[in-house]
Amino acid sequence: MPYDTLIPLIPLLPILGFAFTSLFGRRLQLRYGRWASELVPVGVVIAAWVVAMIVVVPALQHQAPFGDSGLDVKAWTWIPAGGLQVDMGFHVDALTACLLIVVTTIGMLVHVYSIGYMAHDRATWRFFAYLNLFMVSMLVLVLANNWLLVFAGWELVGLSSYSLIGFWYERRSAALAAKKAFIVNRVGDVGFALGIMAIFLNTGTLNIQDSLAKLVSQGASNTIPLTVVALLVFCGAMGKSAQFPLHVWLPDAMEGPTPVSALIHAATMVNAGVYLVARANPLFASAQDAMIVVAAIGIFTAFMAASIAFTQTDIKRVLAFSTLSQLGYMFAALGVGAFSAAIFHLMSHGFFKGLLFLDSGSVIHAVHDEQDMNRMGGLWRKIPITHGTMLIATIAISGIPPLAGFFSKDEILGEAFKNGFAWVWAIGVLVAIMTAFYMWRLMGKTFYGESHVDPSVAPKVHESAWQMTLPLVLLAIPSVFLGMAVGLPLGNGLLVQWLAPVFKGAEEILARPAAAETLLGLPTDTVLITISVVAAVAGLVVGIGLFGPRRVRQETIDRISSANGVMRFAYRLSLNKWWFDELNDLLFIRIGGRVAAFLWWFDRTIVDGTVNGVGTVVRDAGTGLRQIQTGRVQNYALGIAIGLILMAGSLLLIVGQPR
Amino acid sequence: MLSALNLISQNLNAYLVLSGILFSIGAFGFLARRNAISMLMSIELMLNAVNLAFIAFGAFLYSSNARHAAEASVIALIVMAAAAAEATVGLAIVIAIYRNRKTPLVDEYDAMRQ
Repeated sequence: MPYDTLIPLIPLLPILGFAFTSLFGRRLQLRYGRWASELVPVGVVIAAWVVAMIVVVPALQHQAPFGDSGLDVKAWTWIPAGGLQVDMGFHVDALTACLLIVVTTIGMLVHVYSIGYMAHDRATWRFFAYLNLFMVSMLVLVLANNWLLVFAGWELVGLSSYSLIGFWYERRSAALAAKKAFIVNRVGDVGFALGIMAIFLNTGTLNIQDSLAKLVSQGASNTIPLTVVALLVFCGAMGKSAQFPLHVWLPDAMEGPTPVSALIHAATMVNAGVYLVARANPLFASAQDAMIVVAAIGIFTAFMAASIAFTQTDIKRVLAFSTLSQLGYMFAALGVGAFSAAIFHLMSHGFFKGLLFLDSGSVIHAVHDEQDMNRMGGLWRKIPITHGTMLIATIAISGIPPLAGFFSKDEILGEAFKNGFAWVWAIGVLVAIMTAFYMWRLMGKTFYGESHVDPSVAPKVHESAWQMTLPLVLLAIPSVFLGMAVGLPLGNGLLVQWLAPVFKGAEEILARPAAAETLLGLPTDTVLITISVVAAVAGLVVGIGLFGPRRVRQETIDRISSANGVMRFAYRLSLNKWWFDELNDLLFIRIGGRVAAFLWWFDRTIVDGTVNGVGTVVRDAGTGLRQIQTGRVQNYALGIAIGLILMAGSLLLIVGQPR
Repeated sequence: MLSALNLISQNLNAYLVLSGILFSIGAFGFLARRNAISMLMSIELMLNAVNLAFIAFGAFLYSSNARHAAEASVIALIVMAAAAAEATVGLAIVIAIYRNRKTPLVDEYDAMRQ
């Protein structure tokens, strides 16, 4: 197989689709109708999926020419600048392959789904052009073999995310959300850019594999300490993967169309940070302090976001906070050194969270663009496919065996415990209970109990078109079977074997001692799995008890939400999202605004004042002095004569003194 | 021959006073006359006053040294040559301005004002 041509083809196809659709999409849509403008962008993504699968299968199995270390493909020299050579080069190993599966599969299904979801929109061609641009960016990001190209992809996904969040730009809230996402991401990107510069300073190369090997071998003799480099890179990951305190943009990003939320803000782009840290695993393994920061921020985000998800009423926002929470899990896994578990959870989460979002889109579509769960309820009979697939995804994310979420989540928790991070494990179990509960709350409020749907809409509620339900069914398959397929046997499944060469470097550096085989007299794994499952079931049971499907205990819910004391504080904390938007408003809008106003005043009066003052003095001096410019030759001559007389006279006075 | 020489003052100061008077007349004329031609003539007067000073110094201070005396005369000749050239250019300029402005009076030439 000519992989040298196939690999560059994967990002090239969506580039062509983007170029074609943005140039001709509008004309095609006006002349021939919607389908004409959708044919090319959807077609190229399906083609890219096919090509990606051809590449992925041998790459995962470490067959030639990929081998253990992966295959490097150089398209051309991108930046030939003396000693600095940056290639337009791609690197495909098992880690890239895992990301390729998630990105191209969900990307393709979301493209198909969007045909149905955007059927009532004016400018579908623009939407599909942006989606194609996003696919290009994400594929470049995961395929790149050098930091600069990763950064280019990194910024491009930010740009396409911005365009898609603000797709309905007539809505002020959407435009603001797009801006917020872009600006918050910039904060992280500055850190990432500095991290890349630090890597280059330390190693003199931008190639990912070379620079990582060099960073590790140089160890403490690096110019910039590895902990600093790792934290800078993690800063970028925090921005893109919306980890505390840069998480504030993701819930607002739900202003975008739902397929966008599914593709970008659940399944792919937000995983870029996880991918980045996993890719740089030898660097992080050499900087243990940075790893602890990663674990702490991850597990804290997981807990915080889960607690916020308890009280949100917008169906997409609940899912957004759930995404934050699950991403927190992944970072916790990276932090405790369970790199394959993080990638496992990335993949399974990509599928079931993508499914949840597409389901929520189907629900929103069914109830005519209503997103408030208080105005849903009792929908399960009317939209059975949506309900069925969403039920599968909910069980999957809750961590009930044998669905996908159980395997990946259990692996994270187990690894955390076995690697000596008991606190991460304990919070993780707590978050698992919370996850199961808030997910069932979402199910109950949406599908069960009495209908609170607007009476004028209620009779018209209907199941979505096949373009929308087909991706739902297709995504439900990996949500159920992915864990069993690649997660068995536990702790040494197919995925772990696939990814082993990628994370070998980190494993060797960390050199974890084997965990105790038994705990409380039973095999450790058995105990941990039992606790995970019990936690998930407990969460679900409480959720089912409160929110149906049998009966909704509305009075209990009301009592909890109107309780006093600590409960009241906790409720308000959750409802107001821990007041982070208010805190940012205070810090950056009010205080920051004051500082900016002062600086503006300083610039205007002091800096500009000095410059303008010099100008004014010179101009006034000129106005005064030009009066003596009469234009008459004889006046000038008189000046010369007087000057000469003065000079000669003074010379005489000095030199001609009688001695 | 001797009687002719005797008519000439043997006093250096007399020449220098004459030179000073001539230079002052020239300077006054240059500053006070409005006619461009008269100003050119005044310049010639000043130049010749300087020439006279050179020659006088040459004759009186360096009379013992023929070479130095000759140098003074040569400087005077160079000044004459420069004066002739200056007069030529000056007259050409004056004529050109006259054709343009239809007046020889320099206080009318105030195009360079401000």
